[in-house]
Amino acid sequence: MPTLTLDKPLRVPLIAGSKTPGQVTADVSRPLEGKATPLWWGAFLVSAAFLCLGAAAVSYQIATGIGTWGLNRTIGWAFDITNFVFWVGIGHAGTLISAVLFLLRQRWRTSVNRAAEAMTLFAVMCAGIFPVIHMGRPWLAFWMLPFPNTRGSLWVNFRSPLLWDVFAISVYFTISAVFWYFGLIPDLATLRDRFRKGWRKKAFRVMSFGWNGSMRTWHRYEVVYLLLAGLATPLVLSVHSIVSFDFATSVLPGWHATIFPPYFVAGAIFSGMSMVLTLMIIARKTMRIEEYLTLNHIDAMTKLVLVTSGMVMLAYGTEFFTALYSGSEYERFVFLNRALGPMAWSYWIMVSCNVLVPQLFWFRRFRRNLTVVFIATIFINIGMWFERFVIIVTSLHRDFLPSSWASYAPTSVEVATLLGSFGLFFTCFLLFCRFLPVIAMAEVKGVLGIGRPSRAPGPRVGANSKSGGA
Amino acid sequence: MSNMGSRDDLKAVGIDVSEGDVPGRSKKARSKKAPSKKAPSKEDSVSAGFGRRDFLKASGFLVAGTAMGCTRGPVPEAVPLLEGTPEMVPGRSSWYASTCGACTAACGAVVRSRDGRPLKLEGNSLHSLSQGGLCAVGQASLLELYDSQRLLKPWWRGEATTWEKLDTEIEAALNAAAASGRSVRLLTETLHSPSELAAIARFGERFEDFQHVVYDPLSTSAILDAHAATHGRRVLPRYRIDAADVLVSFDADFLATWISPVEFTAGYRKARDLSGEPPLMSYHLQIESRLSLTGSNADERHAIHPAEMASWMGHLAAELGAHFGEGLAQLKPPAGNAPPPVVAMAERLSKARGHSLVLCGSQDLSTQILCNLINHLLGNYGNSLDLEHPSLQRMGDDGALAGLRRELASGQVEVLLMRGVNPVYDLPGGEELAAQIRKVPLSVSFARSRDETASASTAICPEPHFLEDWRDAEPVRGKLSLTQPLIRPLGETRGFARTLLTWNGEPKAELDWLREVWKREILPLASASLSPDSSSSTVASESMASESMASESMAFEKFWDGALHDGYVEVRRPAFEVGPFDGSALELVTEEAGGGTHRDGLSLILYPKVAMLDGRHAHNAWLQELPDPVTKVSWDNYASLAPATAAELGVEEGDLVKISKAGGGEDLVLPALLQPGQHGAVVALAQGYGRLGTDRFAQVGPLWLESEPTVEAGGTVGSRVSDWLDPGSGQLTPVVHGVEVTAVAGHQRLARSQVYDDREVPEKLRPADGHPRPIIQQASLAAYTEDRSAGKPHGHFPEADLWQEFPLGQHHWGMAIDLTACTGCSACVLACQVENNVPVVGRDEVRRRRDLYWMRIDRYYSQEGENLEVAHQPMLCHHCDNAPCETVCPVLATVHSEEGLNQQIYNRCVGTRYCANNCPFKVRRFNWFKYAHEDATANLVLNPDVTVRSRGVMEKCSFCVQRIQEAKISAKARREELAVDAVKTACQQSCPAGAIVFGDLADPQSEIAQAVADPRHYRLFEELNIEPSVGYRRLIRNRPEEEMGHADPHA
Repeated sequence: MPTLTLDKPLRVPLIAGSKTPGQVTADVSRPLEGKATPLWWGAFLVSAAFLCLGAAAVSYQIATGIGTWGLNRTIGWAFDITNFVFWVGIGHAGTLISAVLFLLRQRWRTSVNRAAEAMTLFAVMCAGIFPVIHMGRPWLAFWMLPFPNTRGSLWVNFRSPLLWDVFAISVYFTISAVFWYFGLIPDLATLRDRFRKGWRKKAFRVMSFGWNGSMRTWHRYEVVYLLLAGLATPLVLSVHSIVSFDFATSVLPGWHATIFPPYFVAGAIFSGMSMVLTLMIIARKTMRIEEYLTLNHIDAMTKLVLVTSGMVMLAYGTEFFTALYSGSEYERFVFLNRALGPMAWSYWIMVSCNVLVPQLFWFRRFRRNLTVVFIATIFINIGMWFERFVIIVTSLHRDFLPSSWASYAPTSVEVATLLGSFGLFFTCFLLFCRFLPVIAMAEVKGVLGIGRPSRAPGPRVGANSKSGGA
Repeated sequence: MSNMGSRDDLKAVGIDVSEGDVPGRSKKARSKKAPSKKAPSKEDSVSAGFGRRDFLKASGFLVAGTAMGCTRGPVPEAVPLLEGTPEMVPGRSSWYASTCGACTAACGAVVRSRDGRPLKLEGNSLHSLSQGGLCAVGQASLLELYDSQRLLKPWWRGEATTWEKLDTEIEAALNAAAASGRSVRLLTETLHSPSELAAIARFGERFEDFQHVVYDPLSTSAILDAHAATHGRRVLPRYRIDAADVLVSFDADFLATWISPVEFTAGYRKARDLSGEPPLMSYHLQIESRLSLTGSNADERHAIHPAEMASWMGHLAAELGAHFGEGLAQLKPPAGNAPPPVVAMAERLSKARGHSLVLCGSQDLSTQILCNLINHLLGNYGNSLDLEHPSLQRMGDDGALAGLRRELASGQVEVLLMRGVNPVYDLPGGEELAAQIRKVPLSVSFARSRDETASASTAICPEPHFLEDWRDAEPVRGKLSLTQPLIRPLGETRGFARTLLTWNGEPKAELDWLREVWKREILPLASASLSPDSSSSTVASESMASESMASESMAFEKFWDGALHDGYVEVRRPAFEVGPFDGSALELVTEEAGGGTHRDGLSLILYPKVAMLDGRHAHNAWLQELPDPVTKVSWDNYASLAPATAAELGVEEGDLVKISKAGGGEDLVLPALLQPGQHGAVVALAQGYGRLGTDRFAQVGPLWLESEPTVEAGGTVGSRVSDWLDPGSGQLTPVVHGVEVTAVAGHQRLARSQVYDDREVPEKLRPADGHPRPIIQQASLAAYTEDRSAGKPHGHFPEADLWQEFPLGQHHWGMAIDLTACTGCSACVLACQVENNVPVVGRDEVRRRRDLYWMRIDRYYSQEGENLEVAHQPMLCHHCDNAPCETVCPVLATVHSEEGLNQQIYNRCVGTRYCANNCPFKVRRFNWFKYAHEDATANLVLNPDVTVRSRGVMEKCSFCVQRIQEAKISAKARREELAVDAVKTACQQSCPAGAIVFGDLADPQSEIAQAVADPRHYRLFEELNIEPSVGYRRLIRNRPEEEMGHADPHA
């Protein structure tokens, strides 16, 4: 562990260990170049097994029918859309870190943005599966797209929030993918240059688009990156706002709420940050990149978690207030039922995980205790999954007519599908760790502080670097 | 003609029928009436010269004839049409009048036939008893026609055989019996068919010792025996519910299962018609031990112990006797003081002398005699009870049955014929009975399946389904109806009368015998009757003028055609001679009845459920799945316990309980059901379950990883409880005292389509100052009389509207359901299922709350102290003008028509279920699996006008759009405007209470426009601004204002 002396007048360096750019390249590239560790293999096999389980469950469900899920005539959505919103929410941190923090010049983001963006992509992939497989006839999912067709004037319904979702999610995925890939190009070029031969050399050559590291290339890169960040920023707000419209535009008490867009966005950032933290803490340990992901990074992100937790807490309170103030017995009942009804356990899991647990982060001691942060973020992720479950299921299960009230329990197929989505996520993430640089080398090199007086006597720039990129 | 809306329509149908050119019609009838012109001309041409064309014709004929010969033997009674008739247009439906054969009530029915297939049974509005309604069971009996497991061949000693062989065997045995003079016994359910009774009479003549024993599994024998005692004739009165201003029912579930529920529901509705000025409504008081459907509709209800029934009746008789000052010397004074409700009841009844009615469903002779006394004191005989033209719907004689059982036990019976009954299943000691039947030298069952009794019989002579057969019925003396075949019999079945006559050596086709009997017996009576509103009797009156044989024959043809057309005819049967009330019968009233005492343990009562009745329809999947109107449970029977009793036992819903008799005998283990409104010392079990062969439902519903079969292979649906019937008192009594109920380990989840029963939200989740939900809006009769909009809750409904007004076309379809009229009988639920090809999903799917009913009936309880208030609310798609489902569908699979219909486009639906989530009424149903099945026979029942939905699509009520289209097309073809109220939805048509009004809201002349203008009309969830096209009319109860559980205390 690097020792940090706080009596120094200057800022604590973002990257510990007084790295040289060459060391950065070496450190980041190390996992790609060597053999996979047993730990990686173990994690990969477990993830892949879950992925296979999920694939089997989904295949079975598509072959047999949605009836293999625990849904009923009262509760038309449960695990499916819960998982969808959960994963979309997870995806939010990536864009936030890459785009918003970039625009806000939060330079600490450089250590985490690559992984966070990758996480976004994988999370959105997981999310995208659910709206398709939750359909009764998923093979007709393409009917959701407004394409010219031979079915006369038949078109999609632009009034339906589900259609807005289609656009929001696909735009979000596209922009995130482009943004992530664009940021990867300099690093891909670095890797291209490090590999002497083999298929990876060829692959990186194609993937790096002939990056030559010239000033002009760098300049254009920076400009486009800035523009993409500008483009991606509104998406941070729009995607989850639109996802929340699925609920907010309905007539169902518990869904029909005007606070949903900001509430969902805050929740998404909250859950996304927690997921980034969870992954980062794992990555930090397993990939030996402690010096790049310092406690300061963890500290900064936990503060964001604390802020968004506050926003989520405010939303929970506001919902109750609105219900009380509305005078509508259906509204009031839904919230009383959430807190005290037969599914109250899910509500209290949500509150404990999302409101109580983050309060730890008021204390610097806990913010810098990796074990605490790790456990807390896992709880927050559970809580945020339950938040969506609570919103969807407890609103549906007891709505207007008491005669239709019903209960819900997932089937094994649904549980397997949820596990499968985690399998997909971690499989993708592990493959990413293995084959692509987890840390944006080019960007980290920019925050090493080389050339700043505080770093004197500085190392010689590019002493050990074999990179054409830096 | 498709809709049975008016008399003219039916007349046109009648002409179709009388032409005789419909599928399944008698060839003889045709040749008699309108001798085919084609056949002779063909012969002529052959004789005139045999040209090339003739050769080709003849050879074609020969080939066709040979090919036909290969398939089946000659069927003389009905031939399929080689050539259609002018009326028979492929794809167009015709409706034929007939009689429902699902139970002995014999309601009038009309049957829809399309392309030679009967597809739907509905009520016949010309029938003066059922008055256009038809119950769920009657409608569901259609499915039994297409039962692929039905017996289609006769059986002899456990093997399928031919009729020739079987007849030879049986005739030999019968001849031997006739020669030796040994006893021949015919055991049937209630029979009121004149033609069958005539056949039985003729059959019985041959034998020295012949006896026709009648019993009903749901026995009302005590009523008949009581009348034998009090009025000198064993007769079941015809109850005129419509004539009763004060109606007291002791345990008679007359709106659901008792004697003739459709007729009684129509009468009940008539006596509770709020349209008059001032509105009049009968006062209905129900005294019962469990919560029956009838009790759930009562204005006042008392749950008492079954042993108290007699003492309450005794007190009531004593009170009334005292009131009217009639000497009741023979009546032993009942012990103790009269319970306060009885005093009030007597007071109320005495004010309605001559227009009140006391019904009693008890099988206790004393109680029934007391009931007769009460009705006598109230002067109801001749007013609300008709003994001169009585009901023939339940004629069972439990005494005679006991006699037969003694004979069987002693082995005296040589020949035993069993028709329409299943004694091995129905009666206590079934197994013993089966053994006795096996010992009878010749036992014959006429069952349509190898049921419990048929399996024990020497021979099975399967009868055709009533939709394949010529029959008649006389449910009430002088009120006759005809049953005509709608399809050629699907197998080699043979009518009961024909079989008897064949064995008598005078084989006659069903139709010939029927016409013979009608010509001989009914025509003379018809000639005497003059009822101006019956076309058939007009025909009959004309016949009076003519004397000659020829004109008599013509008169008969006219009479017959009229009767066949209407399906119903009234004739003037001479009145039954009954004596005046004979007070000496009161001697029969036992001590015990006068002062009923509670005994140890619980009392068990057996009761029939709406769908299952006595179990005769247990093989009908529609009925097995139909939720019980009160408990909302399908697919199983259960031990119904009062919640407090269950709490004492420590059982919750679905926990198994063991029921054991004090004196030993076999125990019964059933899941418990907590039934509010039931007396604490009672355990109630439904009859009709545990039928042999119900393991056929093992394959019903989807089978997947976590599914549980509806029934285990080799098992039965539910448990048989008939062994608990108590024949001890001489009557088959469904009450057993001194029963022990104990909790045992195990749990069996019941399949309930509604799991939350209360109208109110749970108490702990009720906001402090919250109002109950204004879903069921109700008012007392007094409040309603004062203010026609009584019961309307306060509400702030949106005045501003962001929605664009929907451009409507010529029509705007809407519906109003009268909650005051609706009894919850569930006929509409089944009508909708039949009409719209709603599949059966099986027990597991119902448990998972995935039933597919487009129409359901929500039943709500609200408990205020002792008083349980029940409300029934039919629920279907409300076709909202601002439909929440329509905006959310991403692919426009649910859209609004310009006639205000909310349409579901199955082939566009991708199945996101968003629409169902956003539906405030939760009426949208999803195809979770592929529910359609490949049973070719059963699939013949599917309505070709309605799509069979595939997996993964949403479905829901369409307002019977196929009927709307059909009416519109036929109006257009006639170049006419669509007539007012020309369209009737399936649910509306079948409702015995006429509670459903459907029509064009845009037409001010329509019934629906008037219903909507009624201040009693309200719509649900107005505050959501969804503009539903379905509304309700408030529930008015004839009870004091302070006893009303109000929807809104601020009203």
